[in-house]
Amino acid sequence: MIEALFEGLLLVLQWKAFAFMLLGVVLGFWVGLLPGLGGVTTLALMLPFIYAMTPIEGFAFLLGMHSVVATTGDITSVLFGIPGEGTTAATILDGHSMAKKGEAGRALGAALASSLVGALVGAIALAVAIPVVRPLVLSFGSPELFMVAIVGIAFIASLSAQGGRGMLRGFLAGGLGLMVATVGQDPQAGIARYTFDSLYLWSGLDLVPILIGIFAIPEVIDLVLRGTSIAGDVPKGRLNQGALEGVRDTFRHFGLTLRCSLIGTFIGIMPGLGGAVAQWLAYGHAAQSARTAEERAGFGKGDVRGVLGPGAANNSKEGGALIPTVAFGVPGSSSMAILLGGFFLLGLVPGPDMLTTHLTVTFSMVWTIVLANIITVVACFLFLNHLARLTVVRGALLIPVILVLVFVGSYTANNNYGDLLLMLFFGAVGYLMVAGGWPRAPFVLGLVLGKIVENNLYISVARYEAEWLTRPIVLVLAALAVAVMFYPLLQARRSAARGG
Amino acid sequence: MRHTLALGAALLGLAVVPLTGAAQSPHFEGKTVTIVVGFKAGGGYDRTARILARHLPKYLPGRPNVIVQNMPGANSITAANHVYAVAKPDGLTIGTFNRNLVLAQLTNVPGVKFDMTKFAWIGSAASETTILAIRSDLPYQSFDELRKSGKPVVIGATGPGANTYDFPLLLREFLGVNFKIVSGYSSSADIMLAIERKEADARAGSFTSLRPFIDRDLVRPVVRARASEPGIEQLPVDENLAPTPRARAIMALRSAPEVVGRPYVMTPGTPDAILKLVREAFAAALKDPELAAEAKKAKMELEYTSGEETLKILTEVLSQPKDIVEEFSKYIKFGE
Repeated sequence: MIEALFEGLLLVLQWKAFAFMLLGVVLGFWVGLLPGLGGVTTLALMLPFIYAMTPIEGFAFLLGMHSVVATTGDITSVLFGIPGEGTTAATILDGHSMAKKGEAGRALGAALASSLVGALVGAIALAVAIPVVRPLVLSFGSPELFMVAIVGIAFIASLSAQGGRGMLRGFLAGGLGLMVATVGQDPQAGIARYTFDSLYLWSGLDLVPILIGIFAIPEVIDLVLRGTSIAGDVPKGRLNQGALEGVRDTFRHFGLTLRCSLIGTFIGIMPGLGGAVAQWLAYGHAAQSARTAEERAGFGKGDVRGVLGPGAANNSKEGGALIPTVAFGVPGSSSMAILLGGFFLLGLVPGPDMLTTHLTVTFSMVWTIVLANIITVVACFLFLNHLARLTVVRGALLIPVILVLVFVGSYTANNNYGDLLLMLFFGAVGYLMVAGGWPRAPFVLGLVLGKIVENNLYISVARYEAEWLTRPIVLVLAALAVAVMFYPLLQARRSAARGG
Repeated sequence: MRHTLALGAALLGLAVVPLTGAAQSPHFEGKTVTIVVGFKAGGGYDRTARILARHLPKYLPGRPNVIVQNMPGANSITAANHVYAVAKPDGLTIGTFNRNLVLAQLTNVPGVKFDMTKFAWIGSAASETTILAIRSDLPYQSFDELRKSGKPVVIGATGPGANTYDFPLLLREFLGVNFKIVSGYSSSADIMLAIERKEADARAGSFTSLRPFIDRDLVRPVVRARASEPGIEQLPVDENLAPTPRARAIMALRSAPEVVGRPYVMTPGTPDAILKLVREAFAAALKDPELAAEAKKAKMELEYTSGEETLKILTEVLSQPKDIVEEFSKYIKFGE
């Protein structure tokens, strides 16, 4: 196995494979920066180009591209408050708030450094998990996936403001998210829910326009009203040293970064949970790390830990998502489904063979993820401080650019004008939520978990009736959900006791 | 020197002749043909369209650019409505969408603004067949054994309107097989994983998508729908097992669109001359050896069905007696 590990590295380092990986990295870099143009679509577009490549070159190209998309997606999220990718929205909450405080460089540094840590953890997890991957994945059935989603929903408690009123608002926002997730044809009886006889609503709502609307529109309005640059009147001197400070933050909170990386990897391994979930669970977990009430209130207003968590989880999930794809031929995410097509094109059949006969190829994938991320992060640091200066550009100059990104980003996901209306509608919702002091994170959490909760609960009951409730992993996860839910309460009491 | 000049003149002449000739017959020189796909990028419909986009230009006069545009929504009704009524009938828009749209029209699904028989039909690029495959470690060697055992078999499914759901549903309703259909899996890949962990016992789906798992001996095919493919000819066919002519008609109705698995159309009113050119190019591209090699690599089975033949099948589906349609819509809902 150790031998295969090094052979895999040597394969990637062959000049042709390496060149293809660099090409992929450059492409992925731009795809990540541009909102709406997602990694999934780009993978599909690039698939025809790999016909003539060897398996190693093909994967170096595809994975090189894919593994940097989340990294550079964070940059757009931090700088403009527009999710560069559907999977990088959680970075906005604290990342963009930091940018507004004049700490864009620090936020970017933190996002990139944590991305790198995440990618490395994900890749190591992929390598280490190879012997145990089959039993691990198989022990998580629909009941267990349902409970994972419930643990996710329990995180609403940490994402809401403290006190009865804050909790109530948080859970109501979460409920609204769950409800919005039910729009469309239901998969059990085929009934159209909340579609108002509109074809557009029939297949449900796309996540990307909603995320762009709910996060970017309030920022645009805010920028217009303030009439200043993104960073306001903050003295410019602090911008330049920011990036390194962000790296230091990553190591200051290294435990948190590591834990969030593991959360991301775990969500990645579980097929069907999807990339958008990983970042929000990580964000919820990061919010838990606040020790005092003041610290908790600071989340969403520019706490660097709120950047580190999602940043790490975003990248670590890619290594995780490769696991079911490689070991079962069952993709863990939609981008992996396209990658699976790549396997066939390259003449490989994913499945148990990838862990034995083709182990070198599997390890070459691990190395591609590692190398592509290191290259991207190092390259980004070269001009990170220049990027950060965008936040001191006058708002009047930036707003047209941001609006173009907002509209184009919402449209390109599905080429449907309806998505623009959807984005504007949720832009209004987002603005009202911000103005009224309602938290947006629980809403998004409900939205991304809604279908997972509903479908897995239905499958669990239909398949196992009540029996699934007694499965050991279900019980453990239930206990975890309760702990997650009551942790903020406990924290509040502890900090009150300390204060008193 | 004189030779090169002469050669140059000859080449110029060659280049000019087809252009002037093209003034009479339609050509695509310098134009862009868009294939509108009713699904997101990456699926079977999309991949077929993209492979065609690479090889169609060779066979169209004037070698146009052929690009793919994804227009997902309402299980492709949106895309079909677009190609039917919004696109211009100038031969520059080709549509490919859910093969079951004809059933949506048949059962009067709201939102359908097209008449399938009025499209300018190019043909179909593949035929798909649905099979049911059970876990190999189950004791049933054949569909007959499975049916007679009477023990419940858990079928993993995505949802109504998909072949993972509809095919076993009709087997349960008409042949009395004890199937427990559990739907809500997010993709057929997810169902395969459920089968690996023994949460589900079986799944229905296209033979193409199940074949890697059959080859790996995870599942074993036991029954198929009407269309056949090499390797599964000997399997029993669902409609041949039907107890009544009515049941048979309903099963046949569900399977009919599968023969035209990847439909390709143009906007109604496209001039005959253009339609003829595109039809010929479509047929030629699907027989192209390079395309065949690429399709084989991608594990896609492409098969040409002519526009006339496709139209015939669809007309037959749409001319079913009312009572059959009514009973059909009791079981089958148009969906993903």
